[in-house]
Amino acid sequence: MKKKNELYKEISDAVVDFDEERAMVLAKESLELGFDPVETILKGISAGMIVVGDLFERKEYFVPEVLMCADAMQRGLDILTPHIPKENVSQKATIVIGTVQGDVHDIGKNIVKLMLEVGGYNVHDLGKDVAYESFVEEMNRTNADIVGMSAMMTTTMMGMEKGVKMIRESNPDVAIMLGGAPLTAEIVQKFGADGYSATAGTVLEDTGNLLQRLGKVGS
Amino acid sequence: MKMKKAKIIFQPCGRRGKVPTGISIVEASRIVGADVEALCGEKKVCGKCKVHIEEGTFQKLGVTSSLRHVSPWQEEEEKFISPEERMQGYRLGCCAKIWGDLLVFVPEQSRVGKQVVSKAARDIPISHNPAIMSYYVQLCPPTIEDSTADFQRLYDALKKEFGLKDLRIDVQTLRGLSLVLRQGNWNVTVSVWMDREIVRVRPGKEERCYGLAVDIGTTTVVGHFCDLKTMKLLNTVSFMNPQCRYGEDVMSRITYHMTTEGGLARMSQALIDGLNHMVEEGLSGMRVDGDVSSEKGEECVPLSGGDIEDMTIVCNTVMHHILLKINPEYVGSSPFPPAVAQSLDVKAHDLGIHIHPSAYVHMLPIEAGFVGADNVGVLIEEEPYKSEEIQLIIDIGTNGELVIGNKDKLISSSCATGPALEGAQLKFGMRAAPGAIERIKIDFSTHDVDYKVIGRDAWRGYSQAEEIKAKGICGSGILDVFAELYRCGIIRKSGAFNREEKSNRFRKNAETMELEFVIAWAQETSIKKDIVITQNDIRQVQLAKGAVYCGCKLMMRHLGIDKVDRVKIAGAFGNHVDREKALIMGLFPDCEINRIVPIGNAAGDGARIALLNREKRKEADWVCRHVEYLELTLEKDFQDEFVKAMQIPHMVDAFPHLEGLVSEEILHQ
Repeated sequence: MKKKNELYKEISDAVVDFDEERAMVLAKESLELGFDPVETILKGISAGMIVVGDLFERKEYFVPEVLMCADAMQRGLDILTPHIPKENVSQKATIVIGTVQGDVHDIGKNIVKLMLEVGGYNVHDLGKDVAYESFVEEMNRTNADIVGMSAMMTTTMMGMEKGVKMIRESNPDVAIMLGGAPLTAEIVQKFGADGYSATAGTVLEDTGNLLQRLGKVGS
Repeated sequence: MKMKKAKIIFQPCGRRGKVPTGISIVEASRIVGADVEALCGEKKVCGKCKVHIEEGTFQKLGVTSSLRHVSPWQEEEEKFISPEERMQGYRLGCCAKIWGDLLVFVPEQSRVGKQVVSKAARDIPISHNPAIMSYYVQLCPPTIEDSTADFQRLYDALKKEFGLKDLRIDVQTLRGLSLVLRQGNWNVTVSVWMDREIVRVRPGKEERCYGLAVDIGTTTVVGHFCDLKTMKLLNTVSFMNPQCRYGEDVMSRITYHMTTEGGLARMSQALIDGLNHMVEEGLSGMRVDGDVSSEKGEECVPLSGGDIEDMTIVCNTVMHHILLKINPEYVGSSPFPPAVAQSLDVKAHDLGIHIHPSAYVHMLPIEAGFVGADNVGVLIEEEPYKSEEIQLIIDIGTNGELVIGNKDKLISSSCATGPALEGAQLKFGMRAAPGAIERIKIDFSTHDVDYKVIGRDAWRGYSQAEEIKAKGICGSGILDVFAELYRCGIIRKSGAFNREEKSNRFRKNAETMELEFVIAWAQETSIKKDIVITQNDIRQVQLAKGAVYCGCKLMMRHLGIDKVDRVKIAGAFGNHVDREKALIMGLFPDCEINRIVPIGNAAGDGARIALLNREKRKEADWVCRHVEYLELTLEKDFQDEFVKAMQIPHMVDAFPHLEGLVSEEILHQ
């Protein structure tokens, strides 16, 4: 009988190697062996994606690889999540994410969303060219802890300052994170947002730190 | 004690870096490879290092620059910098020491090594039918019996002799009319625009008639001076768009307008000043009925701006709006609508361009927010709407436009290639200028590198290290190296460096921890640093080339075809691209090598055609409304196709025409 850690490592490797078939087969095996699906997801699948995030950060993996790994991750999750008892569903924070008004670039945002889901966060993706009013609406509807906004052009980035104000007026307690090619830590501060992540590779760490810093639960 | 460092960026070349505080701007320019002229060797006596210190925060560049970030004024500077210039922010690079972050603009005359611009005109057949026609008339002077007004007299004569009806005249030309008529003893040469308006009246019989066709690129502007009678190209002048200091790309210029009071006017004026300077320079070098090549002893006719009677301009939408001081803000966000798309005729006088004040400047029409008049210029020049064969036209400059189709249907789209394919934003990327590595070859077995630098005929293989003085890599060099690294197995299909690579050129940078490959060793350079390609550089090029390929593929799918008959590559880049390398890197879908054609600066040629043939202006008006614009990001599998196209040459698509060019094991890895 295979040991837990051995199987978890194999699953993690399958994700890193973007081997969808293998991820699926191993996920099934973990269920047959009676392992806790929540633990399998955490130590096998998520662990694998975190390695992927690191490889992406170091530019050894690029966008195509990350997305293929995400496919492998999804196959594993498809097998495991139906077996998780309702009460054990993630207590982690809720995040509303989207690409801002006037901007249609979303690949970066999509990868960030992936990483956040891997990290166990409850993510609501509004898509692209999202009006700031929609961010406010969705934040209130889902009781979000964090609103994440992305922009790829300096022109659309300019609108974020007003967006941050709108969101704060509606909910002063929410944490706001900004990201995208033209953003920098200084601009994020200037716009009055709380957090910034330079690349998808570090977003889990940055989000965790932000929540801790703000003293919020669910991190 | 830790040395304090400051960030310095030089425009227009874009070279930048962190330098120790306390050194002079000239010294800093050496360190980062910007090379400000210093004839006297920083002895403060030649005044050739005059530079402009920009004031303000430049978000895209990540720098806040100010005159307060340099050491105080020195006496020696007074000799070379006037009080007005001093107020405007000019300093001598040898006297100004760096105290804080700076954005420095180096005017043309202070630059060492003029940028090599190849937007040369091509020899193409053009039908002669310019917008300006000139007529010689002999009038009867006024008498007691016939005291008809001067203009009426002229009007009637032109109507009677040449059938020209309802001719108008503007107040500027009217002001000089009476005197000119009498100077010519009632015999005058009249220049008529579009058979509708008199723009110029000259005494006597004048044969000569000139026009100017301009291509305003985001980075480079080119003007073609033409003889409107003989259609001969008399001179071509190019210069760097002075707006570069406000932003390297169109988005950052829009942002500058959005965040800076008077920013739009400033950018517009900078460009207009550049155009006027170009007019002066272009005319001073002109021969009578000359060739572009100059020969000593040939008679040079003194001409002035007022001798240019017609002008056409092609440019992208943002350049168009900024020139005309039209608000470009909304072009910068989805759905990217231009403020105006049809062609325009604007008086030179209204724009402040120093050609004949009554002359009309014809702005070609725009297709869409990111497919501008420049693309229209390419279309009227290449005429894909008249051809049976299906053509794919790729125009890569600072922006990238694609057109595909034939006489049955044409589609266009814009892909954000960004400046990566021109060399910008890459660690050692630079614009094409002396010292830039423009051609690279890597030996398949040894993985040694041979290269050629602009301004030097001999390749590295035939040179002593110290003679080469490489400074960086320009666009065509980037293309070459990308394709070569892949072909030799140094980078994999995914773009990642092959960890097994044995060459000592492959290494991990001790400071950045990033993988890199050395192209030129420090002793072969003028910047005394190894010139490398980093893993990040490779990723940047993958993004750019993926965008182009994806655009091509989605458009082909839209047309329902899976291959094209001809691939035409345009843009300043187009002349320098090695078509084999372009195919190897997967810039566009698989195609027979000899069906890939560089077409040089087709946009500029298009401007020239519109200048010399008014029917082409009508054609331009028609074609821009008949090309279907495809917004790529709205295609449902845009992300999927974009991602697949990032691999080399592609994640899944076959490239049968690469068999033989790329080894079996690499092509099918």
